[in-house]
Amino acid sequence: METKVHVTGLRKRYGTNEALRGVDLTLQAGEIFGLLGPNGAGKTTTLECVLGLRELDAGTVEICGLDARRFPREVKRKIGVALQATALQDKITPREALDLFGAFYPDPESTLRLLERFDLVAKADAAFETLSGGQRQRLALALAFVHRPEVVILDEPSTGLDPQARHELHAEIRRMKREGYTVLLSTHQLDEAAALCDRVAIIDQGRIVATGTPHELVATAASGQAVRFTASQPIDPLALARLPGLRALRCEGLSVHFETDEAAPVLTALMALLAAQGAALWELEVKRSSLEDVFLKLTRPENKSANLPG
Amino acid sequence: MNGLREHLGQSLRLHFRNRMALLYGYLFPLIFLVAFWVLYRHEKIPLIRHMGELLTVSVLGGACFGLPTTLVSERERGVWRRYRLTPLPTWAFVVSTAVARYVIILSAGALQLGLALSLGMPLPAHPLDLWVAFTVVSFAFIGLGLVLAMLADNVPAVQALGQCIFLPMLIIGGVAVQLASLPMWAQHVSAFFPGRYAVEALQACVSGGGLGSIGFCLLALALIGVAGCSAGAKLFRWDAAQRFAASTGKLWLLPVLGAWLAVGLLAELRDRIAVSIDGVTIAAPAAVMPAPVPLPPWTKITAKDVAALDFRVPSDGGVVSPFAGPEEEASDYTKDEVEAVRQGLLTWRPGLEGDDVQRVRNLVCVAAVPDSIQQPVERYLPPVVLSHLQDIYPKDKLIKILTWIVLHPEEGSVIDSIADLGVQGTAGDPDVVRERSYLYSIKFILRITGRIDR
Repeated sequence: METKVHVTGLRKRYGTNEALRGVDLTLQAGEIFGLLGPNGAGKTTTLECVLGLRELDAGTVEICGLDARRFPREVKRKIGVALQATALQDKITPREALDLFGAFYPDPESTLRLLERFDLVAKADAAFETLSGGQRQRLALALAFVHRPEVVILDEPSTGLDPQARHELHAEIRRMKREGYTVLLSTHQLDEAAALCDRVAIIDQGRIVATGTPHELVATAASGQAVRFTASQPIDPLALARLPGLRALRCEGLSVHFETDEAAPVLTALMALLAAQGAALWELEVKRSSLEDVFLKLTRPENKSANLPG
Repeated sequence: MNGLREHLGQSLRLHFRNRMALLYGYLFPLIFLVAFWVLYRHEKIPLIRHMGELLTVSVLGGACFGLPTTLVSERERGVWRRYRLTPLPTWAFVVSTAVARYVIILSAGALQLGLALSLGMPLPAHPLDLWVAFTVVSFAFIGLGLVLAMLADNVPAVQALGQCIFLPMLIIGGVAVQLASLPMWAQHVSAFFPGRYAVEALQACVSGGGLGSIGFCLLALALIGVAGCSAGAKLFRWDAAQRFAASTGKLWLLPVLGAWLAVGLLAELRDRIAVSIDGVTIAAPAAVMPAPVPLPPWTKITAKDVAALDFRVPSDGGVVSPFAGPEEEASDYTKDEVEAVRQGLLTWRPGLEGDDVQRVRNLVCVAAVPDSIQQPVERYLPPVVLSHLQDIYPKDKLIKILTWIVLHPEEGSVIDSIADLGVQGTAGDPDVVRERSYLYSIKFILRITGRIDR
């Protein structure tokens, strides 16, 4: 499979703060790759280095086989970008913005086609200052596609969007995937990454701490199933602790939390215990570990020792 | 080229949609011009003598405030960061921005000139030369504006930095205050500011010798412009956080300061600093004075000439050319001063001048000088002077001489102080004295001919 983005040993320091400590990334053609991380982990710095907005201290960036340092203008023709907050002049209209940015490239896409594709026809001649957050984001995406790029880079694209606009954005990103674009997207929204990305990399404190498909990461790092129930009266914790296969037990009043590898036998034993103690079961929730659990496990200070593939 | 052209066009379109930019870029220069016109409308030599200053203020405002304000506000919003992700090179954006600003400034200047013409100003002596000089002046100040934009982190910083350049240039740089009115130290300082050369160059093309007489000014402005534009391009910042990425970046400020310094030193070496009190500058001796029109001697003045005079003058009770009425008595404080002048005039040397026109001109100055420096005694001296003139000249002769002075305000010399008559103070600007002499001469004629009773 063709490699579209290849980043090796990316390092960046701001004064005494080492923002990137050797980041490696590889994106294959046609995949949606998510860069996940908490605030300040190095997501934006990584993207800025890939885009040439920041000078690298060390490392290499290749886009579509071109060295981004040696051929910056050629690389800029290969990538389409939607930054976290795309601000244009207040009085510019979407049509003018698309015409303007299209003029920076040799063979731009038709402005009308872009307006139609990103559902901006009705707002084509409205001033940028009058557009909603969702419309602005769609315009940012349209600008990224103005020159038919091979790789699309989206920096936290759903930040500040309402649920409807977010839903539309996700649909557009899925459409990019169907049309064969390679997409690198940074986000701190785990459901977004789980829903959209073929592969994700989790970055923390300037290092990639895990890479793989969302399923792989959950399977490798997850700790089984989480159970939470509420009973009609307090349950003896010692009796609970004696149930088979139960761990991480936590009692908070009438509510009880624990983890287990196999929920079914534990729940059978739990029902018997409740009956023996004369307690009724009010609520029961069984949840499989998610990408969020993996993320928290890998990025919480107390879990830094975790070692995952990638 | 397509990208550059589109960016240029879009920059202009956005400018014309920005009400504040229009207000500042177009209305402000027009207000400035109207203010000048109101102040000097009674001058026989009107706006044309101030177009160099007025156009320079327009260029200065557009280039040193308008350009960096637009650039920095777009940079703060992240627009330039987005531009950076496109393949268009930095120089193309810099050129497009500078050219757009030039077009804006040029249109503001043309509008200002148009309004001046509609207010009665004669056509500029060298229109094509004026366009060339205006372009060079714009180039110099746009370079400066680019440097300001690169130094300022935000819009308030643009205002602060801009004022640091704008105000000194206005006050001691020869832009708003005429060099002749400034002390020598300020005239030396002004040689290091581009504003002085801008005024000289533009004025020479409006009412002087044109490009041929302003070689040094054009050279100075071009040097300052090249240094500013080069430094502006080298210091270019795409986003506010990216400040002088390389430590050597700051060194690009040196050519800018060096250019100003070199121009000033060169002016010193060529001894082109001082400006005479008569307002005739060494740099542009013919630039600010219209060519004298040869006329017959004052004796050939006819009643028709007198009747054709423009008798519209400020009211006697106003600030300009006040004139005490017959019933008005000087206060105790000024009474002695008025009496001293009345007595002093009998033996005052300039009042005994052999040339009649110059003699009357000198005597009219006794009324004009206190008015120009707003001495408390100003309104009581014109009746004294008129009375003295009527004592020493027959009516017809006096009317002819005064009419001659009205028709030829720029001729002869004017007196800038009457301290020897006991009235302290010196008129800094001889042009003001000439203007007030003109007004008082008309007021004297009005009274002598009976058009006004008093």
